[in-house]
Amino acid sequence: MLTTSLASLRLRNPVMSASGTFGSGWEGRTFADLSRVGALVSKTVTLRPRHGNPPPRIFETPAGMLNSIGLENKGVDWFLADTLPKMKSLGTTVIVNIGGEAIDEFVVLAERFSRAGVDALEVNLSCPNVQEGRLLFSTEPRLTEQAVAAVKRVATVPVFAKLSPNVTDITAIARAAEQGGADGITAINTLIGMAIDWRRRRPVLGRGIGGLSGPAIKPVALRMVWEIARVVKIPVLGVGGIRSAEDVLEFLCAGATAVQVGTAGFADPALMVRIVDELPSLLAAANVTLADVRGALHAAPAAAPAEGCARAGHERVRG
Amino acid sequence: MQTSLHPLRRLRDLGGGSLAVEVDGPIPATLPGQFFMLRTGERWPVLLPRPFSLYDRADDGSWGSFLIKAIGPGTRALADTQPGEKIWLTGPLGRPFPPEERDPICVAGGVGLAPFLLLARQRHRQRQRTRLLFGGRSRAALAGIDDFAGIAEVHASTDDGSHGFRGMVTALLLDLLGKGTVRAGESVFCCGPDPMMVAVAKVCEQHGLRCFLSLETYMACGYGVCNGCTVKVQGPRFHGWPYSKTCTEGPVYEACELVHDH
Ligand SMILES: Cc1cc2nc3c(=O)[nH]c(=O)nc-3n(C[C@H](O)[C@H](O)[C@H](O)COP(=O)(O)OP(=O)(O)OC[C@H]3O[C@@H](n4cnc5c(N)ncnc54)[C@H](O)[C@@H]3O)c2cc1C
Ligand SMILES: Cc1cc2nc3c(=O)[nH]c(=O)nc-3n(C[C@H](O)[C@H](O)[C@H](O)COP(=O)(O)O)c2cc1C
Ligand code: FES
Repeated sequence: MLTTSLASLRLRNPVMSASGTFGSGWEGRTFADLSRVGALVSKTVTLRPRHGNPPPRIFETPAGMLNSIGLENKGVDWFLADTLPKMKSLGTTVIVNIGGEAIDEFVVLAERFSRAGVDALEVNLSCPNVQEGRLLFSTEPRLTEQAVAAVKRVATVPVFAKLSPNVTDITAIARAAEQGGADGITAINTLIGMAIDWRRRRPVLGRGIGGLSGPAIKPVALRMVWEIARVVKIPVLGVGGIRSAEDVLEFLCAGATAVQVGTAGFADPALMVRIVDELPSLLAAANVTLADVRGALHAAPAAAPAEGCARAGHERVRG
Repeated sequence: MQTSLHPLRRLRDLGGGSLAVEVDGPIPATLPGQFFMLRTGERWPVLLPRPFSLYDRADDGSWGSFLIKAIGPGTRALADTQPGEKIWLTGPLGRPFPPEERDPICVAGGVGLAPFLLLARQRHRQRQRTRLLFGGRSRAALAGIDDFAGIAEVHASTDDGSHGFRGMVTALLLDLLGKGTVRAGESVFCCGPDPMMVAVAKVCEQHGLRCFLSLETYMACGYGVCNGCTVKVQGPRFHGWPYSKTCTEGPVYEACELVHDH
């Protein structure tokens, strides 16, 4: 009943983990039966090991938190040897999130993970491109398209492009990712923010700035998912502040095909499975199915642009 | 490791603003120094759960308690819980004090006392000697000290001399070294405010004592998935990696493993 088609994948349900917030899933295996989640998404894996940013790396803010982990990870060799087998043993769809500072790095990662038999790749575009003066891939449509296209040329599994919300017009980036051949779009990554300790006249985080996540960003994520879903034909994976089955249905309504749970899982390691358990009764109580909800947001007349509205035909007005 | 909801049994006032928050079991077997992430079932005022050492536990796991001092919204919400209201517990988490170090000298400040009650109880049962050095500003700051009667050799210190040795806990440690109550080659387990731990580690280094510190790092998840709780480390245990996650590889570190760069 919750079965979800996502590109060529068939997921048990639309609920998956968000990259960097659930390790490889292995760390959470004693808290819940993870074979019951739709998919597990790994923390971003890079070609070479990365030590990450100096502490402190996290700080709680109203209804959210800031993090500046800095993509700490032991690199692809370690991941393939140690982590991937563990992830696969958990009995659900395995999506590996990859990050690089040059197109070549993304290509090597995509090749190696395709060969290793992961179910899909998620490309973390919130990475600086060293060949372009450390401009983030995610802030430039051209760089987004290049990175996605390069990954697509070698990948033998579906490729999802994970977008940053720290841009003026996310639909332009989403279109570029689709143009590059992405099989889906994950939105959103964290919003860049800052916390200050005025007594010490210093930023709280070791690196100064960090990414905001949690319920505080849910309205922004919903808005961006909704905007993206209207301009691309590929599926959208919604992420940002989800902590309940109600939240999941809001994202599906906005046009997401599936969702990812991040920060909320820190407080409750069994949350994803609890949400999966709750979805059927919530839908039943409203006497609807997932298909009734998905992308079924009543048209918001004033905001709907006349042109470039690829999904206009799917917009349903019920009443 | 598990995550489960536990009704509050009672709050036991330990004085000085500290409470023993006692919850119904089942509380899984926990090693001294391990901790749980806590949040109230209703009206939790913040987003992230908060880490607390397990203070005490019934032998059969039918109840457990946490030593909590209200200093912010999370600790206040836990301290305001009413009997019957429920608290989420995730754990046990982290690496305990090394069980193989026998007859430890435990040095505590404030709520840093928490991991040592379970430790003293277990070591007492194993016929080991536990020396507890507990320091605070005054007698009121020594919340929980009475719980150690009969299971540890208690040495208190107060800054104002209102109870036990007058002075800081490091001076007490030096005093006991002088008297031969503590000897070079023994192991110190320490938990308390950072400045105290730094000072204790220094005394240990100067007097040939092994020193293990339990860190109170800011945590988001407590189970190793956010990489937010790292501290800078060195030593063979970390295979050259400069950071360690306190929630899984700690919170207990040998003092020489920690790198301070400021
Ligand atoms: C492994 C471990 C075991 C702990 N055991 C105990 C215990 O047994 N009893 C007890 O009372 N406290 C213990 N603490 C500290 C306790 O977790 C913090 O006091 C608590 O998180 C503060 O939350 P708050 O919402 O009340 O205050 P906040 O408003 O979040 O913080 C108040 C102050 O405490 C600091 N703080 C926030 N989080 C932490 C943290 N995780 N560790 C240290 N300082 C923090 C903040 O920077 C601020 O200065 C432990 C911490 C760790 C990491
Ligand atoms: C501690 C932390 C680490 C993260 N690490 C990554 C990462 O490695 N790669 C990535 O693509 N996104 C990472 N993210 C972003 C999340 O996957 C997600 O997009 C974002 O947190 C919004 O969702 P949430 O509000 O449910 O957490 C991280 C987020 C947090 C809080
Ligand atoms: S608190 Fe999340 S990894 Fe340690």
